[in-house]
Amino acid sequence: MFGYWDALYFIYVLLIGLIISYLVFKWAERSSMGTRRTGNGTKIFLSGEDEDNVVPQFEHLKGYFTGRHTMWGLIRGINRMFIAFRREHTGLLSDYVAYLFITVAIILGVLIIWG
Amino acid sequence: MMLPFLIIIPLLGAFSMPIMSLLGEKARNAWAILVSALTLGVASKVFYDVWSTRQLVVYTLGANTPLGKGVNFPIRILWEVDLFGALIALTIAFVGFLAVLYSIEYMKHDTGLDKYYTLILTLELGMLGIVITGDLFNFYVFLEIMSIASYALVAFRNDTWEGIEAGIKYMFVGSLASSFILLGIALLYGQYGTLTMSYLAVKIAQNPTLVGRVALGLLMGGLLFKSGAVPVHMWLSDAHPAAPSSISAMLSGLVIKAGGIYALTRIAFSIYATSINIKTVGWLVIFFGCLTLIVGNAMAVVQTDMKRLFAFSSVGQIGYILLGIGIGLAAYGTKIGDIALAGAIYHTVNHALMKALLFLTAGAVLHEAGTKNLNELSGIAKKMPFTSFAFLVGAAAIVGLPPLNGFASKWLIYESSALYNPFLAAIAVAGTAFCTAAYIRVIFTFFGAPSEAVENAKEPGKAMIVPMLVLITAIIIMGLLPWQINDRIMLPTVDMLKDQLHYVIAVVGGA
Repeated sequence: MFGYWDALYFIYVLLIGLIISYLVFKWAERSSMGTRRTGNGTKIFLSGEDEDNVVPQFEHLKGYFTGRHTMWGLIRGINRMFIAFRREHTGLLSDYVAYLFITVAIILGVLIIWG
Repeated sequence: MMLPFLIIIPLLGAFSMPIMSLLGEKARNAWAILVSALTLGVASKVFYDVWSTRQLVVYTLGANTPLGKGVNFPIRILWEVDLFGALIALTIAFVGFLAVLYSIEYMKHDTGLDKYYTLILTLELGMLGIVITGDLFNFYVFLEIMSIASYALVAFRNDTWEGIEAGIKYMFVGSLASSFILLGIALLYGQYGTLTMSYLAVKIAQNPTLVGRVALGLLMGGLLFKSGAVPVHMWLSDAHPAAPSSISAMLSGLVIKAGGIYALTRIAFSIYATSINIKTVGWLVIFFGCLTLIVGNAMAVVQTDMKRLFAFSSVGQIGYILLGIGIGLAAYGTKIGDIALAGAIYHTVNHALMKALLFLTAGAVLHEAGTKNLNELSGIAKKMPFTSFAFLVGAAAIVGLPPLNGFASKWLIYESSALYNPFLAAIAVAGTAFCTAAYIRVIFTFFGAPSEAVENAKEPGKAMIVPMLVLITAIIIMGLLPWQINDRIMLPTVDMLKDQLHYVIAVVGGA
């Protein structure tokens, strides 16, 4: 019923994957017109914030990968959920106490009725 | 019998710490390491004894038998250890030892370290007491020892308001949760006239009452709070980042497990399993588990404070553990339930190691770069390659990337939840998607172009490197031998935990 896995299989798959990736990479390099070696062709991804772009007044941030933009799509896409979650994390002690009472009340209600 | 030394050694170590401090800094540090190493030795021996014999260890305080003179029921305080308790005790002693070792360098520049080491050993002994006790009031005493030590340790660095505020909030609302637990215990004592867990199981099974159910509700509410389940997790995301990193590793890795998860599991399985509608209890735990794993992991995605991100991630991982325990209860007596419970216990141990490693790496970064703000830590990997590698291993393991230990335990939880109810598995996988997103952001930050804040950063000293190295090794080894560990340790642990009759007979068998 329950599938077991052997950790070594993953290492084999990883190694085979690496070899295939390397071969594909070499093949692409051979058959390319040289565009991968200059300009935007050298970048791994073209979308997202350009780390080499220097914004006036923000020179001190040049070259930063803050990690902020890596999950931008996910955060933006379900922004409402994040806003709702963050709104509840007020940091107020009274809210913490209120949630504790609500939780205990829910558990007691369920256990008294169906327990 | 080695069992009493599990409490005696850290207790002696904690209370003799101020005296040892008079002999100098080196003597104090050596004493802290020695005490935690000896505790680890005793915990290993207790675990090996229980594991090799598959027999419960029962120890009565102040007598040879827990039964009273002339009566056939237990009246004394007793400690009762099965494989579950022994396994968690070993985890506590292991991570506790590494946290003490790490503290030697990490806390070097702090003052009041005699108090710090006293508190850290008290914290350890509180947790160890919780996992070995077989008496409900004794459990409460150890829970308070653990809680009070953690309140003080969260606010240990009193030069910042963050720590003091988090400590006060944690103390206030934590005491309220403890009061619920105490009220539950008082109701049980009033109704059934005993505090011995195994005898209580018999009494409740003979006469299940509304009071018994209300007591369980109060206990569950308090223990869910202690384990950091949503929506009573908010103290955790304040307290864990505010504490020194070695303490954060213990709080996130151990305290929420011993004081919350372990106690909840013990009470549900060893006391109530046969005397209540277990499916209802199971679904309640599943409900809170699902809520926890979504909210915890999702909140981790939007954090910019690295330690706060890890704290929310701990909330998320507690969700998986609760999901496993909930399915273990709801599908009690079936193979699916067993596997889910094995996955939950396995993940409890795994998460203790992974989260300890992550908090230790966060501590190393904070120690060297002076910030834990992810927007300022770009490119730290170039300056601290080992620490970044340690982070990478911890992050990969917690996300559940094979072949690391997190995969094995999460797989068991996914598989059993998919078989029990596919909707639960979908929720669990969605939680992992958030978890992955959160850690990828940190990885991008670590491996980006170096910023000014990290210019002067360098690798920490050996006392901080060694604990991280040990945890990396443990995570990789546990990842390479997942099913051996599952078959030889986790499934026997589940069998012993579910064997309520054996748990009762070990104490009242002579009656």
